[in-house]
Amino acid sequence: MPKIIIDGREIECRAGIPVLQAALEAGLAVPHYCYHPGLSIVASCRLCLMEMKLPHPQTRELVWAPKLFPSCQTPVQDGMEVRFDSAAVRDNQKHVMEYYLLNHPLDCPVCDKAGECYLQDYTEAHGPGSSRMVEDKQKNPKKDIGPHTLLYQDRCVLCSRCVRFCDEIAGTGELAVVNRGSRGEIDVFPGRPLDNPLQGNVVDLCPVGALLDKDFLFKQRVWLLRSTKSVSPADSGGQTIWIDSNEQGIHRIRPRYNERVNEWWISDEARFGWKYVHRPDRLNRPQVREAGTMRPARWEELPTLLRSRFAEMTPGASLAEGALGPSPDTALKGRGIAAVLSPMMSCEEAWLLARFVRDVAPQATLVLGHVPVVGEDQTFPKGFTIKAEKCPNRRGVETILRHLGGHTADFRTFLGQAVERRFDAAYIVGGYPDVWVTPDVADALAKVEFLVVHDLFPSRLNERAAVQIPGATWAEREGTFMNCDGLLQPFERAIVPPEGVKSDGQFVYELAGRSGLFHARKVRDEMAAEMPQFAEVFVPRELPKHAH
Amino acid sequence: MPFERVLMKHVGVPNSTSLAVYQADGGYTGAARALRMKPDELVELVKQANLRGRGGAGFPAGLKWSFLPKDRKITYLCVNADESEPPTFCNRVLIDHDPHMLLEGILIAGYATRTTVAYIYLRGEFMEQFHVLQRALDEAYAAGYFGRNILGSGYDLECYIHRGAGAYICGEETGLIESLEGKRGWPRIKPPFPAVEGLFRQPTVVNNVETLACLPHLLTRGLEWWLGLGTANSKGPKMYCISGPVNRPGCYEAPLGITCRELIYGDDFGGGMRGGKKVKAVFPGGLSMGVLRGDLFPRAPAGTIDPRQDYDELDCVLDFDDVRKYDLLGLGTAAAVVVPEDADMRDVLVNVARFYALESCGQCTHCREGTTWMYKIAQRMRAGAGRLLDLDLLVEISQNMGMMPGMSICGLPDGAAWPVRTAVQKFRREFERRIAEQEPEAARRWTREVNRAAYELPVLQGRETTYVGGTFYQPP
Repeated sequence: MPKIIIDGREIECRAGIPVLQAALEAGLAVPHYCYHPGLSIVASCRLCLMEMKLPHPQTRELVWAPKLFPSCQTPVQDGMEVRFDSAAVRDNQKHVMEYYLLNHPLDCPVCDKAGECYLQDYTEAHGPGSSRMVEDKQKNPKKDIGPHTLLYQDRCVLCSRCVRFCDEIAGTGELAVVNRGSRGEIDVFPGRPLDNPLQGNVVDLCPVGALLDKDFLFKQRVWLLRSTKSVSPADSGGQTIWIDSNEQGIHRIRPRYNERVNEWWISDEARFGWKYVHRPDRLNRPQVREAGTMRPARWEELPTLLRSRFAEMTPGASLAEGALGPSPDTALKGRGIAAVLSPMMSCEEAWLLARFVRDVAPQATLVLGHVPVVGEDQTFPKGFTIKAEKCPNRRGVETILRHLGGHTADFRTFLGQAVERRFDAAYIVGGYPDVWVTPDVADALAKVEFLVVHDLFPSRLNERAAVQIPGATWAEREGTFMNCDGLLQPFERAIVPPEGVKSDGQFVYELAGRSGLFHARKVRDEMAAEMPQFAEVFVPRELPKHAH
Repeated sequence: MPFERVLMKHVGVPNSTSLAVYQADGGYTGAARALRMKPDELVELVKQANLRGRGGAGFPAGLKWSFLPKDRKITYLCVNADESEPPTFCNRVLIDHDPHMLLEGILIAGYATRTTVAYIYLRGEFMEQFHVLQRALDEAYAAGYFGRNILGSGYDLECYIHRGAGAYICGEETGLIESLEGKRGWPRIKPPFPAVEGLFRQPTVVNNVETLACLPHLLTRGLEWWLGLGTANSKGPKMYCISGPVNRPGCYEAPLGITCRELIYGDDFGGGMRGGKKVKAVFPGGLSMGVLRGDLFPRAPAGTIDPRQDYDELDCVLDFDDVRKYDLLGLGTAAAVVVPEDADMRDVLVNVARFYALESCGQCTHCREGTTWMYKIAQRMRAGAGRLLDLDLLVEISQNMGMMPGMSICGLPDGAAWPVRTAVQKFRREFERRIAEQEPEAARRWTREVNRAAYELPVLQGRETTYVGGTFYQPP
């Protein structure tokens, strides 16, 4: 590990990284725009210039070199001495910040980026108080560059991060710099809008307010938003995200750095896939069928109801072949009961529910619910992958089922068995953002006498359900998802569920006969005692704000 | 002994672009001699000759060649014929009149650096020169000077001509390389230097046309002849260009080290000012190198050089070293443009600033924003709305852009800052006088003019963009 001296402070850093990266990791807020650790280095913003000690040409003695060096382009070398805290460096920063604002419209009051804009922050910290340019500013039009993105060219600092992102990470190369000098601007090619599965990242990458998300445009001031650490349910990769919410509403989703999964990026599915959380047609009260009609139920009555009904169910009575027949053997008790655990559930919820069902009916069949798969895994040039599996926790549920053993089935087999009327009662958990109850699923489940449906939206199962329980989305719950590679990542609750809805974790906690509040952490500890896979969660390193 | 022209010896000779004429005068004997030597001996010879690059920076060519890694497999030679420095035209004269001299130089340099492929990056506007050069190259291929097993030596060299698209920045060596690779001509960050990682990520040598054209003569006439020309640290012949209101504007060859005064007034060169006017200013090395005061100003006391005083600076020796004493960036391309006594320095400043505002590639912030800002200030000053503090502002911007060469990716901001700063500093009294004489009315008019000027700068795409509202993208 090389040691370098920055501003008189000795710092140990990783070998081969640029001095700027070492400084940022050491906590120094060195201003920079064009440098991004995930992209190639262009050293064009000239804001991170530093002073460096070099051997004097004649005396070979180490002296401060008379010019400034870009710290993003200079790799660390053991024993090197650099400084950012000098008059020349500050003078350069001041001048460069003045240049950046020459043609900037200074429209912070109407700019979405205000509050998290590095042009604001750096001007405040390093720039001059006013501009000395008395000529008119160059005006640049706002451009519609794609279905999701707007470009406010006059706010652009031409750091070319977005261009490099499209070239290097997305590999689609839609963006380019056109024109020379101060007339340079970012643009798309005629007829080829910015539209790739990762394009939303250019908005996060943009250090200023040039690239904006149409979805978020003029929705919220960013300082009103509360950011919650979460994991995207959009695919099985486990992309870590920030959920930005205000007043119990989600307003946007941003990537959360994760060195093991998605690095700095997320897919557009993860970014824009939260809209269903606020759909008006969500189920919002539990209902129980009595004499053929549904009546609203109280949450408190459900655990007792379910427990007693499941316990009542005797095996064999309705089996088509009658092969098993009524038997005094208690080991066979509950053979006709099934629980379908959705891969949208968190590990804790799945475990609690599975335990409840097995507790009531030891022979019950546990089923991994419908796993939505769309196309094939999509891998991008630098290795970012969008998984074909569009659910977050297939692997976690599988792990729990494997651990619990006994009768398990996959979803297709379960449906086949249901058609054969092998199940008297079933607890179905959904929670998918899209329609998942196809007619054949509905027909198969119609054969189940006592059907408990725990789902987000009304579906074909409505008229067949004996008990209907409204579910909560992932943003309203807490827990862990295990991604397709077995990485266990916790997510926190960002907003409360809509009125009338209880979060899934709390409900299954009570269903399992426990009192008090559901804490994913406590449940996980219990699970870890049985399954070592759940002993450790992975929480990625949080990047400080100055290392953008 | 009068100087015998070598680089320009065929200027004026009928049919000088043909191989026959070139060969009749001893053409390609230098290359033949070179091919009998070892490549390393050639590099050593060029080092001893202290052949400094004619492209502007004056970097020793032999030293450049010796930076190539020893264990390289492929080497490329790029010939920088993207001659865009105003007001320079010596490469054009060379290619127009003697393309084979360049080709022979390429052969020699290629052999010395063990190059297998050479690219001539020709300025986009040089259409006629392209045809001349292509014809000459075809002839040379036919005669066996290019291709496989050249002159029986077992050395292979392919040579291609590539035309640029008219960007000043592509004359910067890494900008040239990027452009040659088919990308936007944005200079690369260094290190790695092209000698280590250049064209197609392979070791690459980039040399100027005139540098290469010197090589045949160095080989045929010998080191002694070469070292007999020029001054202490600047050896060999050099092509000087002179333009402006002189009697004989044009391109002239002389040993390195004539003075600026000789270039303007010498009978062999500029032949004096038209109409007997006095010289107010001269940009002696292409615009980027800065400006000298002319003989409108009093002679300096013998033996003093003080750029801070208003002295006549025409005694500046145009070699690689002396120019620095006069606060110039370097010799540059040795192409002088003369400003007569009746010109307004504000017009000069606008022209200078406009060029760099147009040609800055837009990567580094200082250069991108600073060049345009300087242009706007210069415009306003010419429109009669200057302020005294603008002079200080111009100096400050230019010092920040190019106070210390090497703070940006390439040298363009240094070259953009230097003429503006020297012009403002050396002609400050004139600017101050012009500002004092301004009519108050003009100051009110300037906004419109300046703004129109800013939009005059050409753009390819985008300004009148039709994309607003999405003409190509229709939301579903």
